[in-house]
Amino acid sequence: MTDVPPDLDLEPREPEPLAASPTAYAPSVAERLAILQRAGGVIVPVMTAIFAFLMGGIVVAATGHNPLKVYKGIISGTGLPWFVHFGHHHIDIPFTHHQVFFWWDTSVANNDAYNLQQMLIIATTLTFTGLAVAFAFRCGLFNIGGQGQYLIGVITGLWIGTKFSGMGHLPHILFAVVVASLAGALWAAIAGFLKATTGAHEVISTIMLNWIAYWIGSWVFGQGGPLQNSFNKSLPVSNDVVPSAKLWVIWGNPALQALHIGFLVALAALVAFWFTLNRTTLGYEVRAVGFNPEAARYGGISVAKNYVVAMAVAGMFAGLAGVMDMLGYQYRFGVLDVQTSQIGFIGIAVALLGRNKAIGIGLSALLFASLLYGTSTRTLDPSVFPPTLASNLTWMIQALVLLFIGADVLILYVWNARRKVLRAPRAPRPQPTGSS
Amino acid sequence: MVARAETPRWTGLGARQIAVGGILLGCFAFLVALPPITARAQWWPPLLGILAIGAGIWSLTRGARRPGWFAIAAGILGVGLGILATQASSGNLDYVVNWAPLFSAMFVFATPLTYAALGGMFSERSGVVNIGLEGMMLTGAFFAVLGADKLGNWFFGIVCAIIAGGLLALIHAFVSIHLRADQIVSGTAINFLALGVTGYFFYKVYGEQGTPGSISQVPDRPRLGFLSHIPWAGHFLYEVFGTLNLLIWFAFLMLIVSHIVVFRTPIGLRIRAVGEHPRAADTVGISVYGVRYAAVVLSGMLAALGGAYLSIGFVGSFNENMTAGRGFIGLAALIFGNWRPFGAFAAALLFGFSTALAFRLGQPWGNAAVLFQALPYVLTLIAVAGVIGRSIPPAASGRPYRKQ
Amino acid sequence: MDETPVLELRGITKQFPGILANDHIDFDLRDGEVHALLGENGAGKSTLMNIVYGLYSADDGEIAIKGKRVQLSSPHDAIDRGIGMVHQHFMLIPVMTVTENIVLATEPRTGGVLLDYSAARQRVLELSKRFNFAIDPDAKIQNITVGQQQRVEILKALYRNADILILDEPTAVLTPQEATELFAILKDLVAQGLSIIFISHKLNEVLDIADRITVLRRGKKVETIPREGATEEGLARSMVGREVLLRVDKTNARPGDKLLEVEDLRVLDDRELEVVRGVSFDVHGGEIVGIAGVDGNGQTELIDALAGLRKPAGGRILIGEKELTGASAHVRLEEGLGHIPEDRQRRGLVLDFSLAENIALHDYDKPPFSRWGWLNPRRVIERASRLLTEYDVRGGAPRTLAGALSGGNQQKVVLAREISRNPRVLIAAQPTRGLDVGAIEFVHKRLVAERDTGRAVLLVSLELDEILSLSDRILVLYEGQIVREFSPDVGEEELGIAMTGGRRGEAAA
Repeated sequence: MTDVPPDLDLEPREPEPLAASPTAYAPSVAERLAILQRAGGVIVPVMTAIFAFLMGGIVVAATGHNPLKVYKGIISGTGLPWFVHFGHHHIDIPFTHHQVFFWWDTSVANNDAYNLQQMLIIATTLTFTGLAVAFAFRCGLFNIGGQGQYLIGVITGLWIGTKFSGMGHLPHILFAVVVASLAGALWAAIAGFLKATTGAHEVISTIMLNWIAYWIGSWVFGQGGPLQNSFNKSLPVSNDVVPSAKLWVIWGNPALQALHIGFLVALAALVAFWFTLNRTTLGYEVRAVGFNPEAARYGGISVAKNYVVAMAVAGMFAGLAGVMDMLGYQYRFGVLDVQTSQIGFIGIAVALLGRNKAIGIGLSALLFASLLYGTSTRTLDPSVFPPTLASNLTWMIQALVLLFIGADVLILYVWNARRKVLRAPRAPRPQPTGSS
Repeated sequence: MVARAETPRWTGLGARQIAVGGILLGCFAFLVALPPITARAQWWPPLLGILAIGAGIWSLTRGARRPGWFAIAAGILGVGLGILATQASSGNLDYVVNWAPLFSAMFVFATPLTYAALGGMFSERSGVVNIGLEGMMLTGAFFAVLGADKLGNWFFGIVCAIIAGGLLALIHAFVSIHLRADQIVSGTAINFLALGVTGYFFYKVYGEQGTPGSISQVPDRPRLGFLSHIPWAGHFLYEVFGTLNLLIWFAFLMLIVSHIVVFRTPIGLRIRAVGEHPRAADTVGISVYGVRYAAVVLSGMLAALGGAYLSIGFVGSFNENMTAGRGFIGLAALIFGNWRPFGAFAAALLFGFSTALAFRLGQPWGNAAVLFQALPYVLTLIAVAGVIGRSIPPAASGRPYRKQ
Repeated sequence: MDETPVLELRGITKQFPGILANDHIDFDLRDGEVHALLGENGAGKSTLMNIVYGLYSADDGEIAIKGKRVQLSSPHDAIDRGIGMVHQHFMLIPVMTVTENIVLATEPRTGGVLLDYSAARQRVLELSKRFNFAIDPDAKIQNITVGQQQRVEILKALYRNADILILDEPTAVLTPQEATELFAILKDLVAQGLSIIFISHKLNEVLDIADRITVLRRGKKVETIPREGATEEGLARSMVGREVLLRVDKTNARPGDKLLEVEDLRVLDDRELEVVRGVSFDVHGGEIVGIAGVDGNGQTELIDALAGLRKPAGGRILIGEKELTGASAHVRLEEGLGHIPEDRQRRGLVLDFSLAENIALHDYDKPPFSRWGWLNPRRVIERASRLLTEYDVRGGAPRTLAGALSGGNQQKVVLAREISRNPRVLIAAQPTRGLDVGAIEFVHKRLVAERDTGRAVLLVSLELDEILSLSDRILVLYEGQIVREFSPDVGEEELGIAMTGGRRGEAAA
């Protein structure tokens, strides 16, 4: 089977000009993405997630645990049960005598509320790192450098957040956030610039940039490093963020790492992501380049510029993830954190499961945050399932999600093959199993 | 095709040889300031360095682009480092630049990278990008320990590692060849999966206390005692090569075998054909999928060997995520070495050396020496950017193939 | 017919989604003949031969080789039975040597393991000597000419002991000299016992080389006739099924000011060879200038250079009075250049964009469609729906994805976008490629109408008919140079001779 331009009443031609470019006959990242986008629907991502959890359950069962209990334990740790504390509860509306009634317990003091706050904090970070992957993706670039850009955001955020203690609250936070997101943007833009000017593949260059950031992080927080703490020179950890740079808390007890304003910023970022892509000329250019760089170039759009800009925006999101994490949640970072942090990589799974769309990213950030927090040592009852195992189960589930995302391209191909034969001529349309 | 047209032609052997001479001079500019020569006069390094740069420029203008740039870079680096070294105290110098242990450590650090790079080469030469090398290596590391521990012998550990790495690679192969998934997504998934699976079973089997200390390790063999009898350099040679691990020697063997397979056998010709122009290979009756499956699985096995060396060859235990990015450095070495076995090996040696040096420098420099560990990545970034002659991947790598 | 044909096809049928590519085709190839398979683009020639080569499997019908019925399910089967095929796009690996390419998958070995390169090289040398191919066995494919690459492809088949050779439009990529050389080689091959199937849509070369000619039209076989007695007119009629010439009603041109001027333009292709070698011409408002030429004579690079998608190596380009030689595509669009690109799916449209977004491709960043970087989707859609009606685009609303339209309607969208911008100079590159008759008529009428409103139209086409019926002046591009200028009443033959550098035309005459 081959491409059949239905408009030409021709025999099917060779799929693409082969001699001209031996590499031309596979869908590019962007084409592939386009198929996913067109397939739209929530069904596939939902199925993907369900399959992944099912297979994770099989592993759990095979190693002698009850998967249902395990998942129940995980869910109860996410704070989501907060919504199902049935009863008759209300919140007073300030300065009035009115009250708003809820069917769940609105108390913020209970354990579930606390867990929910923690989960949402992680979801905040994941939203940003997911956006970092997604925005580049919409320009046809695969940014797997989210982790490095996140680290750069962390480093610059901490640099400003732990110093300048004389500044006012708002200016200090703004200063830190702006500088850190710009630093992330610059870091990512290196990859975009190299792609635009020399054609260096962004996957390779972002991997390299990740590890460069990793070693920079190991240096700055390490012994004798410029950002190492001032209280214990044997500890490779930074100072704490000074109070004037800590983010405002919007829900919960500030003494216990409560939900910070970054959550709202993340929601705003999702909206901004959608608006930028769909309602601005920048987004128009980015999408045009992502779908068909050749046509974009023909249309007078500078492909090179958009590669740089898209990577910079992506890096800005990742940098925001880093700085929000520092100023609102972790307050300090160390060499060990540099080595174990993977939040930027999880952003890849978030973006892909969320189909690189704003709503999808928000939802899949929630899913992965639940998974991460629900399996952490803080929440999971070791008698139900040891958290050390659970956190690794999380990795497996994420891996399976990614693998099924790969596999569902097949399902979509088959799905679309019938429907699109007479329609989109250049859409890749292989056979069910490629075994003809 | 555009990129191909820009491929530097190494025309004029003369220019190339001059450039190589320049590179050597550049290195020497640094070396004179180090033990055992330890020239303390500050003008030595610049003198040699300028000669190196001159040679580089000369060969650049005569068409030897890549080596020319290398010579210039070597010259500049040589001058800089050389001057630094003449400033350093001789005590520190003697500690840091202790050549025999440095070289020995270089081989130790380079071996896992070599395995990963060779693995990656087979996969990428056949047209499948494999950023799952890291995960395959980690899997190899864990299952080597598990096998060596439960079956009582390091040999079975290696067998287990190879099988596990091969199976993991098979998943990557199936998803990216048959299902034509994005190979980067699939590779990322493989890394996650390896992290999860090894971590899960590590805790399941060994719990919090970790792997036992009594695991059967791959021995350091053969012990080349005779080396020390060689006059003049014998002691040095013995210190470097005398007690290398068996798996290091095996890596040397695999290096040569890989080179022969890829460039001197019909199998290699077919692998390269599939990676460059799969449809052309298909039309002469080569099974594109078959070749790719074999190459990817082989790459998993080799990467797993690298992991096995790390766990039961070098360290003697397993920790969560113990490969810590070595698979990615292997990938970097592969790219830096331009997808060729000896090129990748040279890059692995360079990266291994920089790691060894970073450890040594830790003493006088403190923590700042870790920045040295970023060197491989910086160099690779420069290499892919094409500043010093672009690294060009196989034309069809990363592209799923669709049969007619 | 006393001898068994070496290859016989009976009732071959192949259905592709939406298209019956081959409809019960019978075909036979006799020993030692050149049998041409003639038909328009899309007549089903390549499909039929891909079935013979095992790349596609037929839905119905049977294949017999030397009287024996065979099942060809892969190229491997076909190769085993002595069939070799030279694809239109060569199946060669650019970074490998000639020898490596030829022996691939049938490599001689030493010791069962190692590749015996010297033996392989020796065989290649022998073969190339036997058939008078001057080929360096150690040259890399990327460093040899297209004509040589084609010979490597033929050698590949000969190396595998092919006695049936299929050539798919072999002259499409060749210069006239190379084509002449190829014909000599083919005659040589036949003399040495091969049988050849020669796919083509060019009448003159078929009459030149073939012993018998089978004509296909829309997936059906029309006739098989010996060369003796075949005439160009007769073949053309059976190929197309109607009278060939399409004339467009138009008045005489009333040329106005000089709007596009090109002076001594030089352009390099991707391999950095100069393929446009000093071209100078001008186009005035109110006239259509047609650029005729065989494919691969520098048309693509010329258009790219005019549109600002490829930097010229020398010369000047002026639109109106303004020099725009080094200007970007963006600037040229601003200066009144409209460009209907050669490949609407690769370049002209973003298939995953809606029609409205596609129509906004050049002016999304200008008011009223956007202000301060913010798009105004309402305006974009309003304008699109107006244009879609005006240009009679069927099957698409402004929000429909461009990929969902048929080719003719896609081209109308491109036309709508380019013309509605009110350009002073309109470049139309192969504007009707792959369109059905109705759509062709629409495009032609529209181009003439634009001429009549005073635009300068530059038409670049491989279709002689199109050039002849639309142009007010005809320039012939041959090997990167304008070799002749004609008025539109020139005879097709004379034009053809100029297009082929004068040589092949004279030989045929």
